[in-house]
Parts: sequence; C-alpha cells; structure tokens
Amino acid sequence: MTPAPLSLEATGRTRRRLLVSRAAEAAAVGAAAVALGALGVLIWSVGSRGAGALGWSFFTKGPALFGQAGGGIAPALVGTLLLVGVATAFALPVGVLTALYANELAPRRVARQVRLWLDVLNGFPSIVIGIFVFALCVQTSLPVIGWGRHQSAIAGGFALSIIMLPLVSRATMEVLSLVPHDLREASYALGVSRWQTVVRVVVPASLGGILTGTTLAVARAAGETAPLLFTCALAGQAVDWNPTHSVQSIPLTIFQYSESADSNLHRQAWGAAFVLIVAVLLTSLGARLLLDRSRRKLGT
Amino acid sequence: MNAGSLTARAALPRSRGLGDRLGDRLLHGLTALATLLALLVVAAIVWRVADGAWPAIRLFKLGFLWHDVWNAPLDRFGARDLIVGTLVTSFGAMLLSAPLSIAIGLFLSELAPPAIRTSVGTLIDMLAAVPSVVVGLWGIYVLAPFDARHVQPLLGSILGWIPVFAHGGDHVESTVFTAMVVLTIMTVPITSSICRELFLGVPSELEQGAIALGATRWEMVRTVVVPSVRGGVVAAVILGLGRSLGEAIAVTQVIGNFIPLRASIFEPGDTIASRLANQYQGAVSSTQIAALVYLALILLAITFVTNLAARRVVERFER
Amino acid sequence: MTRRLIILTAAAALAATGAATAATTDTTITGAGSTFVAPLVSAWTPALGKAFGYTIQYSPVGSGAGIAAITNHQVDFGASDAPLTPDQRAACGDCVQIPWALSATAVAYDVPGAPAHLRLDGPTIARIFLGQITKWNDPAIRKLNPGASMPALGITPVFRSDGSGTSYNFTDYLASVSPAWKAKVGVSTQPAFPAGQGAKGSSGVAGLISRTPGAIGYVDVAYATANHIRFAAVRNAAGKFLYPSLRRIEAAAAAFPKVPAGNEMHIVNAPKSAALAYPISTYTYVIVHRSSTHAAQLRKLIFWALTQGQQPQYTAKLTFAPLSTVRSVLVAAEKTLKTVRPAA
Repeated sequence: MTPAPLSLEATGRTRRRLLVSRAAEAAAVGAAAVALGALGVLIWSVGSRGAGALGWSFFTKGPALFGQAGGGIAPALVGTLLLVGVATAFALPVGVLTALYANELAPRRVARQVRLWLDVLNGFPSIVIGIFVFALCVQTSLPVIGWGRHQSAIAGGFALSIIMLPLVSRATMEVLSLVPHDLREASYALGVSRWQTVVRVVVPASLGGILTGTTLAVARAAGETAPLLFTCALAGQAVDWNPTHSVQSIPLTIFQYSESADSNLHRQAWGAAFVLIVAVLLTSLGARLLLDRSRRKLGT
Repeated sequence: MNAGSLTARAALPRSRGLGDRLGDRLLHGLTALATLLALLVVAAIVWRVADGAWPAIRLFKLGFLWHDVWNAPLDRFGARDLIVGTLVTSFGAMLLSAPLSIAIGLFLSELAPPAIRTSVGTLIDMLAAVPSVVVGLWGIYVLAPFDARHVQPLLGSILGWIPVFAHGGDHVESTVFTAMVVLTIMTVPITSSICRELFLGVPSELEQGAIALGATRWEMVRTVVVPSVRGGVVAAVILGLGRSLGEAIAVTQVIGNFIPLRASIFEPGDTIASRLANQYQGAVSSTQIAALVYLALILLAITFVTNLAARRVVERFER
Repeated sequence: MTRRLIILTAAAALAATGAATAATTDTTITGAGSTFVAPLVSAWTPALGKAFGYTIQYSPVGSGAGIAAITNHQVDFGASDAPLTPDQRAACGDCVQIPWALSATAVAYDVPGAPAHLRLDGPTIARIFLGQITKWNDPAIRKLNPGASMPALGITPVFRSDGSGTSYNFTDYLASVSPAWKAKVGVSTQPAFPAGQGAKGSSGVAGLISRTPGAIGYVDVAYATANHIRFAAVRNAAGKFLYPSLRRIEAAAAAFPKVPAGNEMHIVNAPKSAALAYPISTYTYVIVHRSSTHAAQLRKLIFWALTQGQQPQYTAKLTFAPLSTVRSVLVAAEKTLKTVRPAA
C-alpha cells in the first residue's frame, strides 16, 4: 500500500497564518515605500530645483537689490562658516571636558545627574534657546558674551554652541566608555598618573569618536535657524568676517527667501538648500567613515 | 573606569610627584569647571525664561492656560489655542510617524535584501540630518500644493462627515494638516533609524528559535522582536514627539499662523514655537513680550515632561 | 599633495569672497525695520556709498522689530511705517521719528478670471477681512463690479503675522471706514485678524497671495508691482475707484498739510475734497536717537534721503511719491533732523 504523497503545502490554519504573515509583510513594505517615497521626493526636489541655481555668481556675490535678478549667497556662506566656527570653539572644549569629568573622574551618582541634565538640555526647543541668548547677550546692558547691545555672530554662535554641547558631550561619553579598561589599567600599572593616563592614553584612543560627534554636531548647528532669529539676524548685504557684527547665514537666508514671491529668490533658496544638504550629507558621511575607522582601531 | 579603582592605587609603585598631583588637580578642576558651566547653562535658561515670564505670570496667572484670546493691541493674551495647536500638530505627527517608522525599521532589519538594506539605511541616516528649514521650504512649494490639490479633498470627501476632517476653504495650502505631514517627514528618519538599530539588536537565536518552533515571520516579529524592544521603540517615538513640539521654523512656514483654532485640521492654525518665531521680535508692548516668554516657559515645561516620560519608559522596560 | 590642493582651494575661495567683502569701517551704518521702505533703501544704498562712502546694512525685519531694535540700541536707525505709540516713545527715550518716504498700501488679490483692477470699497474690504464675506461672487462684490464674471471661489484673507507698519496703515484705513472694524479689531501693528492666514514680511504676504487662488491681502505697492500681483481699485471718499499711483498718492498727502508735533501723520481716507486721493496712502518714518555714536553720519544720510533720495530715479519706479509734495512735511522733517546732534 503506497502512503499518501507528502506535501509541504500549508493547509487550513497554517495557511491562514501564512497569509496573515504575508499581508503584514506587504503592509510593512508598503508603508516603508510610502515614507521612503516622500523622503525621496524631498531629496529629488532639492536636487533638481537647487542644482539649476548654482553658478559662479551664486557663490561669490551678495544678494541683488530689490527686484533685480541675479545675486548670490556669498555673505551667507561666510556667515555660516563664522557662526559654526564660533559655536565649535565654545562647544568642543566644554563638551569634551564635561564628558571626561562624567566618565573618568566623577562619582557614579554625579555622572548620572550630569547625563540627565545634558539630556534635558538636548530636549530644549531651539527657539527657546534663541530667546535665552537674546535676553542674555543682546538685550542686556551688561553684555555677558555679545560684545555690547547688538546682535552678533558671537551671540549667534553661542546659541548654536548650546545646541551642540549635549551632542558633543554624549558622543564623547559613548566613545570614552568604549575605550577598553585594560588600556587604563596598563597605564596605571606602569605608574602613570591619572591625568597623564587620561590625556595621553584615553583621549587619543577616542579621538576618532570625538571628531565624529563634533562633526555631526556641526552639521546640526549649520542648519539651525531658530536660534539665529533673534541673535544674528540684522545683517548686512556683503561678506563680513567680523564676529562682533551680525552676519548672514544660510538657514536664515533660506527662511527669508522661502516665503517671498520673487522667483529669482526662490531659485536661490533651493540652491542654498542644495548646498546645505550636500554639506550636511558630506559631513555625516565623513563622520561615519571616521567612526568606522576609530571603531576598527579600538577593535570593536 | 571611575574614581579610585583598587587596581589603580595598588599598582602605583612609587609615591606621586608634585607634577602628577598638580596635573591631577588641574584636570579634575578643569573638567569639573566645564561640567559646572554646562549645568549652569541649563539652569540659566530655565531661570531667564521664568524671570522674563514673571510679569505675565503675575498678570494672567494660571488662567493664561485656558483663555483663548490673543489680542496684542488690547494686551489680552491667552495661550489655550496655541497649546492645543502645539499638542494637536505634534501628536498628529506622532500618530503618522510611529507606524511608518516601525514599518521602515522592520523593513530594513527583517525584510529587505542586504543590498537595499545598506543603501536605504544610509539614506535614512542622512535624511535625519536634513535641516528643518529645508523641509519647510519643500513643504511650502511641493507638499502644500499637493496636499491642497489632492490629499485634502480626498480625505475630506471620505472622512468629511467627521468635524476634524471637515473641508476647509478652497485650496487652502497652509493648514494644520500640512504642518503635521511636515513634522512627520522630519521625525520619521530619526525614529526609524533608532527602530532599525533596536530590531537588529534582537539576538538572532531568539528569532531563529521562534521560526524553528513553527512561527511565521509575522508571528516571530510579533512575539519575539517587538516585545523585547518595546521600550526602546516607545522611547524613540516620544523622542520624535519632543522634537516636533519644539519645531518652530518648518511649522511656521506651512501652518498659516492663525488663531482661534478651528475644528478641522484642514484649516490654518498656529503653535507656540511658531508664534514665538513670528511675534517675539516685533512685540507691541512689554506685556506682549512677557506673555510670549510665558509661552516659551510653557513650551519648555511640555518638552521637559516629554523628555522625562521617554526616560521613564526606557527605565521601566529595561528591566 | 591633497593637503596642498585643499589649502589652494580654500585660498581661492577666500579670494573670491573678498570680491564681495564689505568695508567694515566706521562708516557702516546699520538699520532695521519696515519691509515697506526696504526697496527704496535698497535703491539708495549704492548711491549713498558713492556720495559719502557709507555702507548701509538694512534688515527688513518688519516695523515692529525695527522699533524694538532701535529702542534697544541694536542698530543705528530704525524704520517703521507705524508711528511710535506713547509707550514705545517712552521706552525709546530720546528717539525722534522723521517721515522720509511716501507711498501706499495696495489691496492685492489672486482671483483667476477677475478684472485687472477689481473695484472694492472700504466697508466691503472690512467685511472680507472680518470673515463676513467668504466667496468672490458675493453680491456685495458683484454690485461694485457689474459686468465682471466673478468665480464662486472661496476668499482667503492674507495678513501679516509679524509686527508690521503695513498692518498699521491698513487697519488705520479700515477703522476709518468701518465702525465694526474699529470696534472689533482696531488699529495696530499686530492686530488680531479674525479670519485668514498669516505670512511673515511683505514678501511673505506677496508670496502667499500669488500661491493661493482666491487670496486677498494688503502689501506695499512696490511688492505687488514687482511680483506682478494684481491690486484693487479702492473707492475713496469722493466716490472714485482708484488704484495706487504716484499722482494719487500725492493727492492723498496734499489733503493733509498740517504736521502735528510728534510728526505722526495719518493720511488714510482723505476727505471728499481730495478727489484724486488714493485712500490707503501712508508716510513711513526713520527713527533715530537724538545722540548716538553715528549721529553725524545719520544726519548726512537722512538729509540726503529727504532731498536727493526723493528724486524720480530712485522713487518713481517703486511708486514712492516725493516728500516735497507737501512742503510742510519736508520742513518738519528737516526741523526734527536738526535736533539729531553728534555726541559731544
């Protein structure tokens, strides 16, 4: 008597379960496609509309007079470089030192508090930070940082540094905790003091990660608009390298041009957005490469 | 790693010289100073905002939270519609972005072939870094017209009998709904990236075990993957919520800057952050400035509570 | 090799930006405020550079922000279409306001199929912005435009979401022609508009109008003409429907020859005797402290603006009428300017 042929096809309940599984998979793929599609359209729009605006005069000239064609974003490019430079000068040392304290030197309870409050700072809306810096640096008659009662790149850079600080600090903490304990132990075993261990062993081992964190924070700060609205918005029309002056910036320029009716300014807004996205993407890519390299060095 | 590891002390073969002790003190002092500075900034922000809001708090007290008239010339200010607008746009964006992010996370960790996984994953990571003003620019010229011409009429015709989805004016581009979609576009990359990391972190033995026991892929996800990362996913979604609540620029570009809030999301509206961006500089009177800073204080409180909630969720599910 | 290449590229970039560098010396004069007067200041800037070597850095952030900026000493001069309120005058201390340009606010709209200069009158505009008239084919609008085929399109009023002197001018006009408006909303740089959508800055309003079929808003004539947006012919007190032009702005200004003590001029809704007046005209002011670090330069700058700057080569294309239209205003302006003295 021959047995019934074996079939691996699902029947009954199993079949239903498989169908449900397939349907769920299809839903997941569909939802992902919708979201990725929208994001893709975003990139495509910026790329197609922005690439057409690029040109030599776009990168070297300032804004044109009212109603006239042409003009460029040179002052905004310089301004953003200046702002990011000031912000990094404030945020990098404070962020790294804070991370060193929390990870290497502080008792565990203190470290936990530091991490908590840095997380809280990270969650503050950027426009509230702008209002804070305005009240502190621009509005007061006793200037704390803003060099007198006017808006300036220093005030704007300070506002951006507050946004960068938790990012730099957290990235540094993460990479410090990745440094193998054996490295430290070996250093102590050789009689090296704590400060020399930190400065000569731990920090160099985490340099790649610190750089990565800073790069990502810089990319974020370069695109922030709200903190600059009140601290560095009253700027002139020409390139200005003076940090005590208010300077133009790319995100503010995009913001101002984005709502206008002038098609020439629209095109420049897309062009500036294109430049900003490319810069942000390049820095993110660079940061990832650095991170991979530093991870490889640490052997993780 | 932390202070005073026994191994470290026991391993020092000689007493430390002056240079070492000085260096240690200096490092300790410098880093502690930096930390103090960082914490001081946090405290200073809260203090400055509370201080600036104080005249308005004294004038309007808690009634500010549920009065809804915002009239600058008459010096009458009430935050209700702005608070509601903030919560509605951000929670709406969360409702839209959470399922999409989870779907993308699952897609990238379970369903996609490896080639797509890396390229799309990198794309998502980079999109998380797109500045909000660029998303707002795109929102004005690509999303809003598309919404006004196709999405809103479609949704209005299907769901228009519900007041929330009632038809707004003809071709109204700047609406609460457009702002919700813009916020969704902004939060999906971050949340889905975190979800992907979480799903990838589930030990493959657990997943394989479930499959070996006869579970379908969907059942495996449902019973093994999701429960083990539930906390992280919720925290990621709340993180996105926190960013939406504080977003000023992209929202103000597409929301229409109008209160009082209407019942339908297809009408213009306003949020706290958007109103701050518009009115803080050109305030008519000192009462208005204080009222605006009072709004900032409320926004600070809302985002702080959201942040705390995310941490609480992580702590609870991490056990 | 790569390092050298990077350095060379950076140097080249710096050199290129040097081509657009400002001479940031003591002759950099900063200003902020009205978007209304921004096109004119933009036209003046190269001429002032050539005449005195001054570099003008003007930020069109809105009249409200301009008043705040000059009050806080953040800029050398502020520009506003709205006169200072008593509170603002007290806060600003030794500030003076000097009328330095004259133009008008256009009622711009985007209605496919409507005539080139739609006829509207004050009460109708007020009802539109109160949200009481909601469709373009409303009988009130059709009555004013017999023979025009108005579509059944919804009306979207567009207003300024920031502190705006143009809002002040527009609501000043509406309050004078509509008691309902005066009671419900009033006159201000930041009125609580009961209907519509807000946009930031004159260019924001112009942009929103041009993107939204059915939109109607108020914006300075220069922005409407530059962006090819159509604007309405508004009925004045004499019963004529007029869209803004140089002659009609001059007629409106000429109807108000008296200048009060603080230089605060209201020239909206000129009386019936001014037959050719455009009813939503306005002066715009420069606000400076009596004594400041740049007082000497500001005197020269403002005097130039009051005289040379009013020549047709700067003003005519932007629909600004010369300040000398009303002699007493020019005299008052110059008299106030004389009180601006360099710091001892």
